[in-house]
Amino acid sequence: MVQAAARGIRELKLPWITDVVPSYTTLAVYFDSSTAAFESVVEQVAPILSASEAREEAGTSLIEIPVFYDGPDLPEVAERTGLSVEEVIRKHLARDYYAYATGFQPGFAYLAELDPALVLPRRAEPRLRVPAGSVAIAASQTAVYPLQTPGGWHLIGETPLRMFDVHRTPPSLIRPGDTVRFVRARR
Amino acid sequence: MITITRAPPFATIQDLGRPGFRDAGVPPSGLADRESGILLNSLLGNDPNAAMIEWAVAGGALRFDDACTVAIGGAEAECFVEGRPMPAFTRIPVRAGTELTVTRLIRDRYLLLAVRGGIDVPVVLGSRSTLLSAALGGFEGRRLRTGDTLPIGEATRDGDPPALPARHAPYTGTIAVRRGPQASLFGDAAWTAFTSAEFTVARASDRTGYRLEGERIAHAGNGTLPSEPTCIGAIQVPEGGEPIVLMNDGPTIGGYPKIAVIRSAWISRFAQLVPGASVRFVLDEESGR
Repeated sequence: MVQAAARGIRELKLPWITDVVPSYTTLAVYFDSSTAAFESVVEQVAPILSASEAREEAGTSLIEIPVFYDGPDLPEVAERTGLSVEEVIRKHLARDYYAYATGFQPGFAYLAELDPALVLPRRAEPRLRVPAGSVAIAASQTAVYPLQTPGGWHLIGETPLRMFDVHRTPPSLIRPGDTVRFVRARR
Repeated sequence: MITITRAPPFATIQDLGRPGFRDAGVPPSGLADRESGILLNSLLGNDPNAAMIEWAVAGGALRFDDACTVAIGGAEAECFVEGRPMPAFTRIPVRAGTELTVTRLIRDRYLLLAVRGGIDVPVVLGSRSTLLSAALGGFEGRRLRTGDTLPIGEATRDGDPPALPARHAPYTGTIAVRRGPQASLFGDAAWTAFTSAEFTVARASDRTGYRLEGERIAHAGNGTLPSEPTCIGAIQVPEGGEPIVLMNDGPTIGGYPKIAVIRSAWISRFAQLVPGASVRFVLDEESGR
């Protein structure tokens, strides 16, 4: 419902609405308060919300992401989950993921739901430098780090794709509501 | 062109920000004290969104390589052109080769230095604002360094007559807020503490967020709130109870409960508070900004 409502509000193309941001259970609408009053924005947006309640969450696109499964935490993840490295990879590949939200940094999409067998808490000591393109898991989620940053997720692989590119429209490869499928790649 | 002759400890290029990309995880960025920025651009005959230098810590010098018209505003600072103190919110014509120095911030946090025509760095995702965490926008996505040369754009109209900024009314230590999306997670005692405490802006405060010390606010949340979109001025309360006010470069989503949100008309005033400054919050649910 959240993604359907976000699409519905974007389709209104109201000039004073600057951002429409869906997340897990919440939708935020940002508007220019110098050109529109809160009450009038609510008036325009409320009918979309009620009309979206019954609408299905259809993903906007299916994004395929090639992954080299040779991340530095792969052996530890295998050990802690009691699986073999190959089983960890297979389980990560076995399902499609839904992009619930984007945040933390530009282009970072929170993807769920991870196979319960792969669920681990975040690393006790976050890394100071996670390379761009790292494919990672934490709790019941998986993600790709678009930019080099500190981070506490377990790194299981790497993609050569640019997840965030200011010269692309839209700049983020994954947007909320998209479906993501990881594909095994060989170096 | 402007040449940085002695790098300020912390200065970036900012305009009114980068709306429209929050759903890609890109925060709005932009001038922390946007009201002073709009005023300076009006004074210089610039588009309200023209980019300028946001100078967060005193020190540093630059040279105007071409004759141009400049103005400063925002924080009160010891700022000199050709050795003479520079008044705030005043158009100052400078000759080619003139040097400007900032020796001390007297009051508040961000000194804004605007030039007629605006700083003409490339537009990235619709804005010239610097986002340090993603190294995008501004001058090569980073803080200004010695030797950087900043191009100046073309001005298209005359400047407006000088007007004294309304926000120069003396700061009384109080900032107006509305109830936040998780206001009901906070009990009566927490609300009493939040609205009566005198908070201090912590040292660990920057363009992503200002931490507040002085009172811990208890809430009924158990840390399981699903992450949801944030906004500039949202006051979130982590488990430890010390509030954090999200600022222009803050994360676009977050999972801490938000007790209150600073009213937009007060954001510029709040943003100017330096570490160590005191602040109290007062609830104001009137309509409007």
